[in-house]
Amino acid sequence: MIGYTPGSTIVHRLDPRGKLAVQLAFAIAAFAHTTPRGLAALTILALAIARLASVSVVRAILSVRVLAPFLIAAPLVAAIRLSPPAIDPSAAFQPALASYRVLLVFVVAAAYVHTTAVRESRAAIQRTIPSRPGVLLGVGVSLVFRFLPVLRRELTTVRAASAARLGTERPLVDRIRRLVVVGVNRSFTRADRLSAALSARCFAWNPTLPQLSFTRLDIPVFATAIGLLAAAVFV
Amino acid sequence: MATNTESVDLVGDETVANIARAALFAALMGAFAYVSFPNPLAAGVPITLQVLGVFLAGIMLGPVWGAIAMVLYLVAGAIGAPVFSGGAAGIGHLIASPTLGFLWSYPIAAAAVGLVVHRGVGLTEYKSASTPTLVGAMVLGTAIIYALGTVGFAAIQYDPWYASLGQAFVVSSLPFIPVEAVKIAAAVGIVKSDAIAAA
Repeated sequence: MIGYTPGSTIVHRLDPRGKLAVQLAFAIAAFAHTTPRGLAALTILALAIARLASVSVVRAILSVRVLAPFLIAAPLVAAIRLSPPAIDPSAAFQPALASYRVLLVFVVAAAYVHTTAVRESRAAIQRTIPSRPGVLLGVGVSLVFRFLPVLRRELTTVRAASAARLGTERPLVDRIRRLVVVGVNRSFTRADRLSAALSARCFAWNPTLPQLSFTRLDIPVFATAIGLLAAAVFV
Repeated sequence: MATNTESVDLVGDETVANIARAALFAALMGAFAYVSFPNPLAAGVPITLQVLGVFLAGIMLGPVWGAIAMVLYLVAGAIGAPVFSGGAAGIGHLIASPTLGFLWSYPIAAAAVGLVVHRGVGLTEYKSASTPTLVGAMVLGTAIIYALGTVGFAAIQYDPWYASLGQAFVVSSLPFIPVEAVKIAAAVGIVKSDAIAAA
């Protein structure tokens, strides 16, 4: 599992907006150059970024293992021909490159997730998206981070309690209904308590944000992003 | 700290309640990513509750706040909350994953379900919606999710994308569509029962 891990790498100290720019530019470059040469160059860059952020490439790829059936099936299905010869390996080449490209983008994204605290991401969102939509997104996203573990634990408890009472023997629709009803009820109860607490604490459209400022360290980050975009457009 | 010296601009009570609900619903969507049920039709394709979360967001929060809840879910996942299927995170899911079409379709599908159930952008009493309306809304939502999911899959995996829509549909959508009926049935049961306390 990839999540934010406090650390002192150079990537931890960078501005989150620069890191977001690099991820977007990296994806655009990977889509523009889905060739063996282009992907080889991007592989070197992705490994360098992972190294600088001290994030494990293996863990980054394992964290998206649920996508493996799609990434493997796409080239396989492309290779199947209805008329003989039944298998055409050359048709699988391009979809296989596309699958590999996805993994590269995930490695770069994992470097961001590993090195960026929620409050920094929130500040980046609120400084990039102006006025009320930005505040709404920033507040909402930090609440999601706060409540996800709570709700996850509650659902696990409910499932365990249901299984202990032979709930697993019930029909599927009934099992889903029971679990979701408890999940939704608890979420709405928490939401009501939360909104009372937010109002009581003067929840405002113009709160104080943590400071973000670009430093000299961020210059190479933006240079990388611009370089990747230029490579996508001109090369 | 960047101190703000202007006067405090308080958020209205109704908006606070809506923000809290949307955020909690987005977190619930994330928690649903960890729950899977065995599939009676195909053992290798587990049933997750994400799509059910999209339906219920549109039905219970309405088209506007339901869609906002889905956007919060996507943005939280993009910056690192482990909310995507299998507990994954990262902006890669929204810009490069073969399943990006499904994710981007969630706010649109939640808005569409909400528009049909509430007959407009306002919020009405969803429990009074008829069963055909609820089912129709969710069938429309399912169609939106799988149409965008298929196009997204083709766009990421195949070149040119429009020539491979059939292949993309077979790999990305076909195995998952039959169990959507189970989720629609469960959603109707949830909405029609009196078990949901807060309306």
